[in-house]
Amino acid sequence: MNSLEKVLKTLQDKFGASITGHASPLPTRLFINIKAEKVREISNEVVALGGRYLVGIGHDNIARDGNIGMIHTFGFDKDNFIVHLNAAVPGSNPVMPSITPDIPGAGWSEREYQDLLGMKFEGHPKPKRLVVADDWPADIFPMRKEVPYNMVPPAAEDVAYQLDECPEGCSIIPVGPFHTALHEPEHFAVYVDGETIKGCDYRGFMTHRGIEKLCESQVSYNEVPFIAERICGICGSVHATAYSQAVEMAGGIPVPKRAEYIRSLLLEIERLHSHLLWLGVAGHLIGFDTVFMQSWRVREQIMWLSERITGNRKTYGMVIVGGVRRDITPEIGEDILKVCAKVEEEVKIIHKSITGDTALHKRTKGVGYLSKEEAVKWSLVGPVARARGIDIDVRRDHPYAAYSELQFNVPVVDTCDVWGTLVVRLLEIYESISLIRQIIAKMPKGEILTELSEEIPPLKHGISVVEAPRGESVHFVITGEENRPDRWRVRAPTYPNLQAIPAMLLNDQFADFPIIVGSIDPCFSCTDRVEVVNITSGRKRVMSKSEIEFISRGNM
Amino acid sequence: MDIVYIVVNIIIFLAFAPLFEGIVRKLTAKVQSRQGPPVIQPYYDLIKLLGKENFIVGNWVFKLAPLMSFAAILSVICFVPLGYTANFLTQYADVITIIYLLTMGGVSILLGALSSRNTFAMMGASREMVTMIMVEPVLAMTFFVGAVKVKSLGIDATIFSVMNTGYSWAVLLMMVLYLMALQAFVGKQPFDIAEAEQEILEGPFIEYSGPNYALFKYSMMLKQMFYASLFVMVFVPFLYTGVYALDIAIQLCEIALVYVVIALVGATNPRLRIDQAVKYYAVLIVLALSAVGLSVYGI
Repeated sequence: MNSLEKVLKTLQDKFGASITGHASPLPTRLFINIKAEKVREISNEVVALGGRYLVGIGHDNIARDGNIGMIHTFGFDKDNFIVHLNAAVPGSNPVMPSITPDIPGAGWSEREYQDLLGMKFEGHPKPKRLVVADDWPADIFPMRKEVPYNMVPPAAEDVAYQLDECPEGCSIIPVGPFHTALHEPEHFAVYVDGETIKGCDYRGFMTHRGIEKLCESQVSYNEVPFIAERICGICGSVHATAYSQAVEMAGGIPVPKRAEYIRSLLLEIERLHSHLLWLGVAGHLIGFDTVFMQSWRVREQIMWLSERITGNRKTYGMVIVGGVRRDITPEIGEDILKVCAKVEEEVKIIHKSITGDTALHKRTKGVGYLSKEEAVKWSLVGPVARARGIDIDVRRDHPYAAYSELQFNVPVVDTCDVWGTLVVRLLEIYESISLIRQIIAKMPKGEILTELSEEIPPLKHGISVVEAPRGESVHFVITGEENRPDRWRVRAPTYPNLQAIPAMLLNDQFADFPIIVGSIDPCFSCTDRVEVVNITSGRKRVMSKSEIEFISRGNM
Repeated sequence: MDIVYIVVNIIIFLAFAPLFEGIVRKLTAKVQSRQGPPVIQPYYDLIKLLGKENFIVGNWVFKLAPLMSFAAILSVICFVPLGYTANFLTQYADVITIIYLLTMGGVSILLGALSSRNTFAMMGASREMVTMIMVEPVLAMTFFVGAVKVKSLGIDATIFSVMNTGYSWAVLLMMVLYLMALQAFVGKQPFDIAEAEQEILEGPFIEYSGPNYALFKYSMMLKQMFYASLFVMVFVPFLYTGVYALDIAIQLCEIALVYVVIALVGATNPRLRIDQAVKYYAVLIVLALSAVGLSVYGI
């Protein structure tokens, strides 16, 4: 068994002089200040103790103490606590050692701050651009506080991302920026030898919108949940809940019990919807459109239910800091139970036909293989990890909302392939339905919202993890002075899972590319953190290329 | 007077092939709890495509390929003894000619894809070629089982061998094999590997648009109807009445039934990978060879 104290003591014993301070505002959170030059050794030690890399958070603190901070966070899932290694480097020369050579899951976090804060990570195996556009000037770092949120640097022509070297004897197949297997603009360069995949380079973040920057400079605490909800079209409530919980933790805001139950209810409805959606997409990606159509037909009832509960099919707009906005009436409660019964019955039929379909087994078993050790190394999350024998589920390991009072199983299989992911997600549908029933039965009476009356104290750190349907989302908040977060970092589940895609693709057939990428249920917009705007007026107009360029550069 | 049979052949195939495609789409939709497009949607599709701008991205081969493909399948149709009536062209060709002409249809898809020099088209072309090489033997064996029985490679003699000499074990085995290869012949799931929308974006046809694409589409539909009608003519010729028009009507009904099978199998299977498909075809070829062997010994 690990405990906060034990981890702290081990680190202090080993790296006494490099640990400059620590705090533990909650029994489940440990903040350790460390010297930047020892970050690699200390991180390795934390991982050796059983920590799982969550995310790195860079933040600009130059105006206060001249430093740029980099916080690496690690979750201890068996013992329910999270460790933060808080390192700082001077803003004039922000160089620190990279931890990626030992912890590959940190690769993107470090590259992100290389782009956004101008940090340098010594020893990073692939220090290429990740987030900013190819023509973005090399000396402007958008997440620094002195850069205004609406800055538009001049565009440049003929600047292109340099792809990784193609292995000898292989040819490049471009998947993207637009491809039917991807529902969002991203570019995979797949290196194939005949039909066998020998490598892959990824260039994403093509529609980066800068939500974090916007929310740190323009809006107030309780406006952020609505923007957070629009990070993803599928797990919107997850982001709103995760953000709200992070602020509540940082500011010590109590949340009424009933609100916590309603949050859990929304999260489970969202999970039901997302699992059925993914099942359909997975069917489509292997050319099995009947699965696609049938599971989306079942899913449609959940969309209608959501509309009756919240007024929206998706993007519920229910969760804000301090609670939720609408109550669940007894009539709606009955309605929910009725829909659940119907969905359960129909999912059972789909489940049965899928498990009996040998052709489907052929396309999914052994495909996208990644061993458990590799999966741990890449810090995979969600059903992708649970399909590889990693028994993690934030709802159970780091309970939030009402989950500590509810009973549920965490399905884990060890087939290490796409089939396992499919099984896990199917079984989770039943767990979600059982959770919804428990929530309706146990929901206490009372208030649903704590009004924010007092000011939230500045420079407090809050981190919250929420199990989204496709894995855990991490939100990190540093509170600020002007009634808005000073730093808000979002890490969606696709962020770690996507990093492991090249490893999953290796030596598979190109025909399996769509389903392997699809198996992590990639939400590129979650990593991009962009917004998709729908035309509501119903009037259509074809925009010229120059017009699109004009608005895409920040003008409206 | 003989020329009438050929014209009837061509008209019936051209008129009915899109209808059968429409039936497949409608049935697939029903399996998927969808409304589905109207049965005559494929006609609309063809008309729409024919009226669109013709984008040429390759050299003259790119333009020639759809015409070649369409011409090849039309020639095959001319030889077909639809309504159990051989026409005067039938005697000028044998089953080898049919196999060659069908191969030419495949080759023209290949040429079009290669001249467009698109990565996805190349990939689709190589898959198309593998499928062609592996499936063609099954078709050839189908003819040879009959040919061995009647000691002739003539089209009408071979195709009517079952009608004239009755069923044998070899024929029954071949019939099962033909059904197993049917989805590959017609390029439907689980063997729509060469087009595979989610992987290689319609493969060989990715650069085609407008009238050129319409021709390809039309020749695919004709090819599908040819394979369905071949099954009906060779393996289930027992509803022979002797009245030409009635025979054609009966055959069309039977073809529609074959399409029902195609639609149902297509709607209930995912697409296989090319390596998995090749293994499957290999088994079919070996079994088809043994069917011919059985036929040689008159079993």
